Amino acid sequence: MTTTDKPTQENTLGSPSPDEPGAQTLTLSVGPQHSGSGHMRLIVELDGDIILNAQPDPGYVHRGIEKIIELRNIIRSIPVIERPSIIDASNLNHAWVRAIEELQGVEPPARGQYLRCLLNEMNRIMSHLYWLSIYGVFLGHTTMFMWPLGDRELFIDLAESLTGARITYSYLVPGGVRRDLPQGFAEEAIKRTEYFEKRLDEYENIFFKNPLFTSRAKGVGVLSRQKAIELGTTGPTLRGSGVDADLRKDEPYAAYGELDFKVHTRPDGDSYSRVMVHVDEMRESSQLIRQILKKLPSGPVRRKAPIVVPRGEAYGRVESARGECSFYMIGEGGDKPYRARYITGSYRNMAAISAVLEGVRLADMPTSWWSIDYWPVEADR
Amino acid sequence: MNLSHEREDYLIKILKENFPNDIKDATAIRRSRINVTVAPEKIVDVALFLRDKLAFDHPTGVSAVDYNRESRFEIVYHLSSATNPDQRDILINLKESVPRNSPKATSLVKIWPGVENFERESIEMFGLQFEGHPRPEKLFLNDNWDGPPPMRKEVRFPTD
Repeated sequence: MTTTDKPTQENTLGSPSPDEPGAQTLTLSVGPQHSGSGHMRLIVELDGDIILNAQPDPGYVHRGIEKIIELRNIIRSIPVIERPSIIDASNLNHAWVRAIEELQGVEPPARGQYLRCLLNEMNRIMSHLYWLSIYGVFLGHTTMFMWPLGDRELFIDLAESLTGARITYSYLVPGGVRRDLPQGFAEEAIKRTEYFEKRLDEYENIFFKNPLFTSRAKGVGVLSRQKAIELGTTGPTLRGSGVDADLRKDEPYAAYGELDFKVHTRPDGDSYSRVMVHVDEMRESSQLIRQILKKLPSGPVRRKAPIVVPRGEAYGRVESARGECSFYMIGEGGDKPYRARYITGSYRNMAAISAVLEGVRLADMPTSWWSIDYWPVEADR
Repeated sequence: MNLSHEREDYLIKILKENFPNDIKDATAIRRSRINVTVAPEKIVDVALFLRDKLAFDHPTGVSAVDYNRESRFEIVYHLSSATNPDQRDILINLKESVPRNSPKATSLVKIWPGVENFERESIEMFGLQFEGHPRPEKLFLNDNWDGPPPMRKEVRFPTD
């Protein structure tokens, strides 16, 4: 903690003249600490308790994944590319296989495409729930920490029965998915999503309508529509500022072109809007899971695909829980890519942190930047 | 799904008409994906045209690629459109090449503020220079990192 002006006798004794410029600005280093999601630091400049400027300082969980995946074959890279966001593993996995399949010219069978969407939507709910629980912690609302984490187990169990793993599935492979639905999955999934939607109503009563939350989220941390676009934000952050962009609709991939769903937006761009976009999306994803299971076509789940990245370039992108996740892949014909650029939703939304925090009170800082759904590990890669 | 390239061809035509000498190459590599290669000294003009006239106002990322065998780096700006819903799926890869021994480019932060972090990452990971970048400091690497830019092709892992 340092004062930005030179330490004079007056202000080190705690009696600065209020007229002196900069006498009350303070530069605060928040972190590096584990803020619920991996280490990161914010450098915050304050006037009293009002934030004048906040700069993110990422990199504490940087793993050099872009380098690692240049050196491994495309199958061995799958567990690696899932690591930046283990709570949303299948969506990142999907972007990876989309880029590869585009270069290979391989189209997975219809059932495989539906199963990909099924796990993607389950992941979206799981990721949003994890995010919501940390949001609850930041507000000091212990129930909102416990409930979403507890209800997340409903979907973790389902994912485990589908893929064999609780969080990092490596379920999507070039050409399709690793295995078919287990017996009795559909009945169990329908039961659980219906129960989960009832739980969301209970969340509403205890949290989303609670003045503890609304008074500290409405009108706080506003990101205008114009700013959200020019800063290149994506996902719930962009939709919370009134832009109805969603790759599942804009560039329908896998089975999304055949599914019926809405893109949820809110016009205000404040912390409250971004939270409510997440909540609306969880309801939509529950509905989508049931719809996928109802429309699920029969047939194989996987087609043969070579372990090779043909010469050429591709840009595979999907709508992950935190926005667009993409791989810009350049192939040379070997079993590994020449270059695989990995751009995640959190990395793009990092640009919005300063914009959102400007003018916010220090006490509202944790919830305001967390409402962007910035996941440090996913940004650092 | 409509498989024609009408919208892509139209965008390419407009770009070529307005910059007949500056655009080295413009092709639709598939539906919704357009590659545009420009000379580094003209990239600002083309970028402004893309943003203001064609509504590519939403930067989705910047990639640098090390083509060490050709002694050049390629810088690729990935651009999409948020305000025009009819071209939300279209992604323009705006490319420029800089020589490996003098990797200088012009920063486009003034045109798309969202590219700031991506350009910063290219500076530290590839050793590129972006003139006019407001904050050319380390982003992910340590401030005291003094090794080579780690994403360059000649940098290998000890176990590799």
